[in-house]
Amino acid sequence: MTDQPPSPEHEFAEEQASLWRITLGPLIWALHFIACYAAAAVICAKLDASPPAIEAMRWSIGAGTLAALAGIGWAGRRSWTQWRDGNDDVFDDDDGSNEDRTQFLGHAALLLSIISFLGVIYTALPAFFETSCL
Amino acid sequence: MQPVPPEESRAQAERLRRTWENPTGWRALSIVNNSQVGVWYTMTAFAFMLAAGVLALLVRVQLAVPDNDFLSADRYNQFFTMHGSAMMFLFAVPMFEAVSILLLPSLLGARDLPFPRLSAYGYWCFLIGGVFVLGSVLFDAAPRAGWFMYPPLSVEDEGVGSDIWLLGLSFIEVASIAAAVELIVGVLKCRPPGMRVNLMPLYAWYVLVVGGMILFAFPPLIAGDLLFELQRAFDWPFFDPERGGDPLLWQHLFWIFGHPEVYIIFLPSIALTAMIVPTFARRPIVGYSWIVLSAVGTGFLSFGLWVHHMFTTGLPSMSLGFFSAASEAVVIPTGIQLFAFVATLLAGRVKMGLPMLWIAGSLAIFTAGGLTGVMVAVAPFDWQAHDTYFVVAHLHYTLFGGFVFPVIAGAYYFYPLISGRMLSERLGRWAFWLIFTGFNVSFLPMHLTGLLGMPRRVFTYPSGLGWDTLNLVSTVAAFVIAAGFAVLAWDLIRPKGRERPARRNPWNAGTLEFTPDPDEDWGARSVPYIDTRYPVWQQDRLVERIEAGRFYLADAPEMKRETLVTSVIDARPLQVLRVAGPAWITIFTAVATGAAFILPTFEWYRPALAATVVAIAGVLVWLWRTATVRPEAEMKDAGLGMRLPLYVSGPGAVGWWGMWITMLGDATAFASLVFGVFFYWTARPDFPPPGADFADAALSVAAGVLLAASWALTVGARATNRRHRSGIAMLCLLAAAVLACLGGAALVGAVHLPDLDPTTHVYPATMWVLVIWTSLHILAGVLMQLFCLAGLLTGRFTPRYDAPLWNIALFWHFLGLKVLVTVATVAGLPRLL
Amino acid sequence: MTTRANLSLPSAGRQAGPGLTSGSARERLALGPSSQLGCWWVLAPFLLTACDGPQSALSTGGADAAQLDRLFTVMLVGAVVLWLGINGLFLYATRRGGRPVSRGWAEALIIGGGIGLPVVVLTALLSYGLSIMPDQRAVGEGLRLRVTGEEFWWRVEYWPDGADAPIVAANEIRLPVGQRTEIELASTGVIHSLWLPALGGKTDMIPGRINRMSLHPTQEGLWRGQCAEFCGLSHALMALQAVAMEEGDFRDWLAREAAPAGGAGGAGAAIFAAQGCGACHAVRGTGARGAVGPDLTHLGARGSVAAGILPMTPEAIADWIRDPAAFKPGVRMPAYAHLPEDELTALADWLWSLK
Repeated sequence: MTDQPPSPEHEFAEEQASLWRITLGPLIWALHFIACYAAAAVICAKLDASPPAIEAMRWSIGAGTLAALAGIGWAGRRSWTQWRDGNDDVFDDDDGSNEDRTQFLGHAALLLSIISFLGVIYTALPAFFETSCL
Repeated sequence: MQPVPPEESRAQAERLRRTWENPTGWRALSIVNNSQVGVWYTMTAFAFMLAAGVLALLVRVQLAVPDNDFLSADRYNQFFTMHGSAMMFLFAVPMFEAVSILLLPSLLGARDLPFPRLSAYGYWCFLIGGVFVLGSVLFDAAPRAGWFMYPPLSVEDEGVGSDIWLLGLSFIEVASIAAAVELIVGVLKCRPPGMRVNLMPLYAWYVLVVGGMILFAFPPLIAGDLLFELQRAFDWPFFDPERGGDPLLWQHLFWIFGHPEVYIIFLPSIALTAMIVPTFARRPIVGYSWIVLSAVGTGFLSFGLWVHHMFTTGLPSMSLGFFSAASEAVVIPTGIQLFAFVATLLAGRVKMGLPMLWIAGSLAIFTAGGLTGVMVAVAPFDWQAHDTYFVVAHLHYTLFGGFVFPVIAGAYYFYPLISGRMLSERLGRWAFWLIFTGFNVSFLPMHLTGLLGMPRRVFTYPSGLGWDTLNLVSTVAAFVIAAGFAVLAWDLIRPKGRERPARRNPWNAGTLEFTPDPDEDWGARSVPYIDTRYPVWQQDRLVERIEAGRFYLADAPEMKRETLVTSVIDARPLQVLRVAGPAWITIFTAVATGAAFILPTFEWYRPALAATVVAIAGVLVWLWRTATVRPEAEMKDAGLGMRLPLYVSGPGAVGWWGMWITMLGDATAFASLVFGVFFYWTARPDFPPPGADFADAALSVAAGVLLAASWALTVGARATNRRHRSGIAMLCLLAAAVLACLGGAALVGAVHLPDLDPTTHVYPATMWVLVIWTSLHILAGVLMQLFCLAGLLTGRFTPRYDAPLWNIALFWHFLGLKVLVTVATVAGLPRLL
Repeated sequence: MTTRANLSLPSAGRQAGPGLTSGSARERLALGPSSQLGCWWVLAPFLLTACDGPQSALSTGGADAAQLDRLFTVMLVGAVVLWLGINGLFLYATRRGGRPVSRGWAEALIIGGGIGLPVVVLTALLSYGLSIMPDQRAVGEGLRLRVTGEEFWWRVEYWPDGADAPIVAANEIRLPVGQRTEIELASTGVIHSLWLPALGGKTDMIPGRINRMSLHPTQEGLWRGQCAEFCGLSHALMALQAVAMEEGDFRDWLAREAAPAGGAGGAGAAIFAAQGCGACHAVRGTGARGAVGPDLTHLGARGSVAAGILPMTPEAIADWIRDPAAFKPGVRMPAYAHLPEDELTALADWLWSLK
């Protein structure tokens, strides 16, 4: 029974950054997804699918995608550091220590960033291929 | 850790046994233990599955030859509707919850989960609702518009079928959410000391993810059900295009539920696989964090797929593309999980066994279903495949491979844990080969049947289209599957009393689930300290020490049922929780709730209202009894020299977490209603219709202000009570309740006074439904305020024992936000559009 | 009674269309190599039946269906290879003896198999799928059709370029070969879905919405289609026939279809009027102008009675009128069993003569 943190509040405080980063990737994916879906719905249904509006939307989706990817990349980079910054050289995280818990959360956040990164790219593909509201 | 003298240990065991002893005979119905309720739950879900399977056989007989008249069109429609509905709502989701309720206490080395009575209540709701819905088939009154209940067909359907579906299944959904709350709080707060998040058994991770998904996926359907029933019962035009409605909203809400639902079904079986594979590979799982992350990732992505059930509804290509993309992206986390299992097997020394045989079968079938899933996720191909037998084949491949086979593997694997006996190896092999062969011979040809043009849900077909032989083969093979299930069912129920008891931990698993003695009701003999992922393998003489009572809570000196509550991330011990014992109030309340849902089916609204009042009274009595219990001491020795509080309120308490999680689900349902407003605005040119009245601005603002004040006073009551100013706290609560009533009245008045008749157009109807939803919550909020007021007045709640005040303050935080959104949407938004 | 889903055009008419009669699906279609391939992949384990059929998505008579058939073949080959690979690996992993592989290898497998492989395969497939969507949904040229889903039949309106009123027909769709025809889809009561597998994918018909699709037949032929969205009691009995014709033939046919009903009428026409059939059905050129049920102006020229479920013969017409619900549960049309047999025969003969 080693290195127990003094209180649950402390426990959350210690991992606040990594818990935040774990949700950040999927959250960016979700926001990007909702924004794309809502934009297409509004432009195709409310703006009579006007070609300039569609063009503008496709470019905005492109820009939004780059921004989302940058955000996820940043979160992923931080998680990478957290995962790799243990005191031990092994990247095992199956031990009952604070360090392994931190490494696990870091690795978790990194992997979620990877999945979210791919998800955002996939979501953007339709805007590349579809040029109308048909 | 000091050794315990044998006679002392025996005395402790005797006290524990008496404390956890369950009533027998007919009184056994009052049992609430999760591990006992879990067994009932599992058996009931299995029985419903068999019933739904019989319906499938009848459907197959009808389709065996062209122009068959074995079933009439009407009967056929009832049967296929009920087959799908029962398999989804009465088997797949409940089975996950049943198995989890059953396994989780043992897996976490806990005595019980925090709210056993909630689980029991959920079970009784499930049983009542399931018998009601499934029983309608016997009276030729079953729903017959398909398990997806698309309006306008289902709305216009005469008879009670659609109402039975809507109300009966909404009722069961409520029970499912109750179980999800129990499971989530259980995983977060009832882990054994030391079991940090990185050490949790994978099954617990999946429970967490799936529980969360249930929380976000079921509420949209409940919101949809509400709109639907309002249209059926009171003619509010949500899905009627003549009055501004749109049938597509139902499809959106249904599939926002329906696609995560697929993963709600699939992930638990992956979880079972994740428990079984390491045992047979005889090594810890490879890629633990990969699997956890895939589960979480799947949970997220599965909410971006719903429109792939609507690829043919004529939405713009671009919109379809987004959903097509997300549908393909979700393959990645699924693939990671499968490859992690293969990697574990490669890195281990595999010993085959019956459960592994079922897992292998599951993989063979599931990968085929997954690959056809990749095909139908490509929108243009789906334009051909959608609503054909190709999709029937695809979905059965995913559900058999991704659910049925792993669950059966789990049954063979975990059976000894429940009964202390093994299932038969020989019968198990027979069942496997019958089901596996029958399944493939029955369903593989359906891919081709579909591509040859056979649509789903047809009660008959002409010959000459190349479908005849294929259908006959499918039907014959369906009976082979049935034979396999008969063998399995016999193996499960055949008397095994004279057989040799199974070895404890017969498969030599590394996790905790096999450590409790199946003959005792107390769960873990003592709650262990865990600092590895596979404690039975990795911690020295763990089982022996648990059994010797050398860990926490080895005794029950006060003869009270207790379990440990720990912190969310690091599982630091926080509290000794007194868990509820057997009770009748759960069944009573479940029956009343059932009546409240079932009676409106027959338009008996007054009895239904009475039943609602009784159900609410039941809940209040139940909560009062639980909330007013005060422990006899402040702290308690939990063993090993650790002293823990017996009473905790606020964010450390399980009740607070239960409230938080419930409110998250509740907020999702509300968000779905708000989504409806956005949807109508984009989909319809006349939302709001020109010249329509707006909600009364002054009253709306007044409602917002009054309710915000009530919110502030509720929070204030908690704070002042903490500072020993009980008098002021009581005044605050009284004032809060009065203000809330006034605010609720103002809110209703804001839509009632202007000319906003909900039957005329979908615009007033959506405004009304938001107001009604929020008003009902205000009513609940007032009841809570009065509940706490009563507690303070009678001196049961004190500055120290104030958990209910914390919980209702949390409820009001959510309610306050809901009120503000409602006011903004009802009074503000239409003025802007 | 066993019905055969035979497609036909009435032989008595002077149709210029492809003179195809029952069960001769094979004569008409030269299946493309891709469709054969896709089919045989599916069939390999069964060898039970053929892939071409009048309602088969694998026997392609249109550009859209051919494109989708190609897509399917590609996906099927990929799926079979991947299935064998994954399950072979699993089998190997459970059967092999010897030393366990190292952690590093195992994790490399997760990364390669779980991320690398799917990313490559799915990105390619998604791009392929997305890239053909614009073709599938391209806008039609010239003629426009409007098909409305009714319970349980199809109202078909032809809107030639510049027309201000449609030519109304029912339960049969004729399309010119070699050009893309725009089809508007509507519905009156519940949701239906128009699906002609041999020509292309399906699109739903949703009350309150006008959807669209377009089809591009590439060869003359007769195909069967069916409602694909569950629409109630007789969902299984809501079929239709599609006829793809050479452009000139199509124009001639459309001109005939636009003309009022020919023939003198006689006893049958009188019974039709006396029984009030005109309240629901229109027969252009007579007083019957009802728009509730299918337009019967050229009923006898269609391939089937009652939306693809009965052959186009006077006997079948009489049977149908006598008791429609016997053939189609939940049908709106009332039974006329009270009519004497000779009147029924006369009525049916007259309707059948409306070519």
